[in-house]
Amino acid sequence: MRQIRPRQNYLGVGGWVWAGNYKLERYLYILHRVTGLGILLFLLIHLIVTTFFRIQGQAVWESAMRVLNNPLFKTGEYLVAVAFVYHALNGLRLILQELGFMMGKPVPPIYPYSDSLRKKRRWTMAIMGIIIILCLVFFYDFIVGGW
Amino acid sequence: MRHTYLWLMQLVTGVLIAILLGIHMVMQHLEDILRFFGVNLNDPASWQSMIERSREIIWASIYIALLAVVLYHALNGLRNIILELTPSARTERVVTRTIIAFGIIIFAWASYVPMALLYR
Repeated sequence: MRQIRPRQNYLGVGGWVWAGNYKLERYLYILHRVTGLGILLFLLIHLIVTTFFRIQGQAVWESAMRVLNNPLFKTGEYLVAVAFVYHALNGLRLILQELGFMMGKPVPPIYPYSDSLRKKRRWTMAIMGIIIILCLVFFYDFIVGGW
Repeated sequence: MRHTYLWLMQLVTGVLIAILLGIHMVMQHLEDILRFFGVNLNDPASWQSMIERSREIIWASIYIALLAVVLYHALNGLRNIILELTPSARTERVVTRTIIAFGIIIFAWASYVPMALLYR
């Protein structure tokens, strides 16, 4: 007798980087998680710099700023800015979609299936466009300000 | 029910951070574009500029409020990621308590510094 096996869509920890059969939103979710963890890491470094160096006075602060003022750290700062822009705007999309905005009406699951997120993917693409534009604005300012 | 409120707080703090951290990022990183619009911040990361801001109680309040909402959002998000690994109830308690202790220590230290140096 043939066994009916459910579709294997449990990805485990591997689902943090590989989306399997899932679509665009799953990759946005992975990026959301990566940028969130990156910003958390930066936050801890940032708090250490702005408290321990700040409390020791002007000379220590200025020497620390001189150390941080090189292309490597500037690139890191730019990546933090990009991560912030992505996490903020994608988070806004997640909040709106959780509350039921920017989604199609739910329909009965009759073939051909249509999920409500895919019907309004144009909104998602519009938000991705805004993210890219803001990243370019930040990039322009980093270039003008000097690396 | 408790988890519902934790998640609701995650959404509310997310919106607050988008506003407060948006101000912070525009100030710190878009100073050349702000100058084009007539707002002159002359190097916001310099000691002089930072001291001017840290002597104003409104800036100290904004930074401490930002610190509080960011710490909640970040540490609750980290806890959610860790709990997705489906740890046992005992591990979950340890994770929760460690994260709460960590958050309180960071908040106490990082809000003490601007308050202690407010008029210095």
